[in-house]
Amino acid sequence: MSGNIQSTVTLTITEKNGSVRTRKLNMFTKSYDDGTIKRMVKFLDPADVRGTAMLIIDNKDVQDDIWIYLPALKKTRRIVSTEKGKSFMSSEFSNADMSSGSNSDFTIKHMPESGKNDTWVIESIPVNDDKADEYGFTKKITYLDKKDLKTKKIDFYNFDNVLFKTIEIVATQPLAGKEGYIMTDMLAENHLNGRSSRVKFDQVNTSAMIPDNTFVADNLAR
Amino acid sequence: MTDFIIKYKWVIISVSFALAIGMGVLIPLSKTDPDIRNYIPRSLPSRVTNDSIEKEFGVQDMIIVLFTDSSILTPVDLREIKEVDKAFSRMEGIGTVNSLYTARKIKGEEGMMVVDPLIKKIPETPEETEALKEDILANRFARGIVVSSDMTAAAITGTVNTNVPEYVTLNKVDSVIAVQKGNAEIMTGGLPYIRKHIVEDVNHDAMFLIPIALLMMLVVLKLSLGDWRSVLMPFTVVILSTVFTMGMIPLLGWKFSIIMCLAPIILISVANNYGIYLVSRYQELRRSDLPVGGKEMIRSITGSLNMPILFSGLTTIAGLLGLLAHSIIPARQVGILSAAGVTLALVMSLLLIPAFIYLQHTPRRKNRQVRDYSNDLISRALKKVSAVIIKRPGRVLLVSLVITLLTGIGFAFLRIDTNQENFFPHKSPVRKVSELINSKFGGSQTISVMISGDIKDPVLMQKIDDLTQRLKGSEGVGTVFSISDFVREMSKALYEPGEEEYDRIPSSTEAIAQMFELYNMSGNPDDFKQLMNFDNTKAHILVRLSNTDNKVVKALEDDIRSYTSDFPARVTTGGYAVIMTDFAQQIINGQVASLAFALLTVFILLAINFKSLKGGLIGSIPLAGSIVIQFGFMGLVGIPIDAATALLSSIMIGVGVDFTIQYMWRYNNELRKGVTRQEAIATTHRTTGRSIFINALSVMVGFSATFFSGFLSIRFFGYLVWLSIGSCFLYAIVFIPALLLYFKPSFIEANLSHSIKKKDKNEKDAIPIISGVGSVTAGYAGSIARSRTADGEKS
Repeated sequence: MSGNIQSTVTLTITEKNGSVRTRKLNMFTKSYDDGTIKRMVKFLDPADVRGTAMLIIDNKDVQDDIWIYLPALKKTRRIVSTEKGKSFMSSEFSNADMSSGSNSDFTIKHMPESGKNDTWVIESIPVNDDKADEYGFTKKITYLDKKDLKTKKIDFYNFDNVLFKTIEIVATQPLAGKEGYIMTDMLAENHLNGRSSRVKFDQVNTSAMIPDNTFVADNLAR
Repeated sequence: MTDFIIKYKWVIISVSFALAIGMGVLIPLSKTDPDIRNYIPRSLPSRVTNDSIEKEFGVQDMIIVLFTDSSILTPVDLREIKEVDKAFSRMEGIGTVNSLYTARKIKGEEGMMVVDPLIKKIPETPEETEALKEDILANRFARGIVVSSDMTAAAITGTVNTNVPEYVTLNKVDSVIAVQKGNAEIMTGGLPYIRKHIVEDVNHDAMFLIPIALLMMLVVLKLSLGDWRSVLMPFTVVILSTVFTMGMIPLLGWKFSIIMCLAPIILISVANNYGIYLVSRYQELRRSDLPVGGKEMIRSITGSLNMPILFSGLTTIAGLLGLLAHSIIPARQVGILSAAGVTLALVMSLLLIPAFIYLQHTPRRKNRQVRDYSNDLISRALKKVSAVIIKRPGRVLLVSLVITLLTGIGFAFLRIDTNQENFFPHKSPVRKVSELINSKFGGSQTISVMISGDIKDPVLMQKIDDLTQRLKGSEGVGTVFSISDFVREMSKALYEPGEEEYDRIPSSTEAIAQMFELYNMSGNPDDFKQLMNFDNTKAHILVRLSNTDNKVVKALEDDIRSYTSDFPARVTTGGYAVIMTDFAQQIINGQVASLAFALLTVFILLAINFKSLKGGLIGSIPLAGSIVIQFGFMGLVGIPIDAATALLSSIMIGVGVDFTIQYMWRYNNELRKGVTRQEAIATTHRTTGRSIFINALSVMVGFSATFFSGFLSIRFFGYLVWLSIGSCFLYAIVFIPALLLYFKPSFIEANLSHSIKKKDKNEKDAIPIISGVGSVTAGYAGSIARSRTADGEKS
């Protein structure tokens, strides 16, 4: 995803046993030319976490800056975490899945079977072991629709070279006034633990002008 | 019967071998079950509870890798730990990993909540090392969990992921460790490794103990039967019935377990009884002057011996089936297997051995001297014993009672042990690692407390925290993992030290819910996976135990139950340690049931035969005395009752009880002949006493194979078989004769004149079973059917 996006997000996590956890959020995202992505997230639902807000400055090469506001404690705290590539809000999506990612971290090639079933098959392999550890996989296979070059599905392989996760792109939406699209409905399935997560973007506005001062810690409590 | 055997001899032989071969081919399909949990019925409350906790929070069995060095915080050691940690986190068979590199520090710092790995960078200078040491000591998720407080050991723990076969994961862990070339000594432990060692040792036992037992039995048979042809007939029955029985294990869908190894050993020790008896009789008849044809020979052997052998076999089978009184699953399985094996051995002895004899018999005249045993070591010893008893029966009784009672004091020290680690000898690496884990890392065995309710409710969370703190201070508890610790740790990061809420459970549901959300976003949500379920309706307190003594665990369990009685939630306790405590109770129940069965069986048997309740009571004394001696001895020398030693009582009934029956019947028979009591005692010692001795000895020798077991418990079992069979033997030939002489019980002496009248008739049916040492009437033959040995001594 790139550019300015304002949307309501519904994140649904379904456990293997059928238990479901749903979070409804308001999300503002702004991408900058230097690769920085700023994101302001406010919880709408469930009631006991309503008002909880999070500001994430996803710096390209240095560690992320995260601020969080907990209304029940009336506390704003900056969180320093050196860990990247972890799960996005405890879902099956990693933080990397939620951003556009950097192609330079991978060796990318078209696979011989490209063209079959109306898809191009792209293999992405982390350039080194550290990158593999950072991203949490050793191989990613992306299937692109031949007609519109949109991603249909991504398979992730673990360190035993076993397929452990698949992300399916259920719906996309074109970016207003720009080339490209955003994925508005994604389903991630973990084949090993049986958990699945769905992130659905509603009321997506890709043309909104989001002022830079939206992404300041003082706004968290508002 | 004779005609049947002769007519169908080849069918009998073919069917016997076909049965054994048919079942034998199944043996390679046998699997080993190393998990002692599966010894306990699934329906048992502690298993049901534990299964429900495991369903929610996964299997809590941990693979533990220990690194030890004079200081574990050196760069070389830390790099080595990092390598192994990295491999662990990549391994599919491992769930939650806990190590120096997964541990985080959460702290409040100038308005920031800092969530950082405990080690961001491997320290290179003494100052950096010191800072890391301080960080570890101050971190409740690290000290004594991933690094020992004295900084000499580090641990990486990983829960097992049941999606991957455990042995695959363990092999991967082993290969990761094998390539490490650092300074630290690396050891592996935890229940998955204990199970691995058990599988290896069970396989070792099966591979070695059975051949050793067979070899020992071959020596006993050679010594008692002489020529190889005579040896091979009962030995074939032993082999065929043992193979058949072992084939039953995979056929019935059972798995080989530690105590299952005892089934073939029991068979090897017992299955030859009947064969020896028949072969001895054959040898004896061949020594007679008359040339006898094959058919007459078979008729003569089976006609006189079938009934007593059948009777003897049935009492053994009944005794072994007493194991069904146990609730330990493999104990029941051993009962069924050994009873089935003995049944087959019995049938084969009655059909196959006569068929063999018929095929190899050639009528010939042989004029061999009958070997005289009357002056050998055994006979001289027995003669001396009988002389002492005859001279001073009262004193013998008194001394026997005093010895029994003194040994019985040990009852007070008797313990029950269900800890799998203690199956291994003290010097084994399993024990060494376990001791290290227990002393430095809070133990590898766990109690799980599951709290079902609204975990975000501050009242409940406070109670969870109170319970957590209480458990941390309880005896036998190493470390406690609880969601309330995370909540308090987060409050320390969110509030300043002076604030009231610092290091406290928040007072509102929203605050707790938001903290969880915060952790989900900033930490690793998997950290919670072990401690709280997905929808926050169940919390799990994981208690690692440094002392797994059944009494300590029981006390903890009781304390948890009473302390949580007013919790606004449902509280259940499970975990391996709790199951093992339940298992200990099952062992006691099984022991009591099988002992009751033993005493009742003997009492009824004797009461019926002597038509006297007093006869039943007196006959039960040797078993009762042997039980007191066995358990007293175990208490005195510190051998615990465990899954294996718990089986002893039933084996004792199956094998040792009829020594007394034999003795009393023979004594009664001698009296009927009109001799004095003293003469009757002397004769009974010389004849039946001798056969009882050799019978006892051969059983003891058969069980001696267990001395070579990889398991301490099975070795103890072997020693205790010597003790219990030995004491049954001594009671039968020392205590019982003294008692008969001293008290002259009416049940054995009444109507002797009437018996004498009957004697004439019985004498006509007399079968010279033990030539050279007397004869026993057919009516009483059942009683001595088990005494294979006097015959067995002929050659």
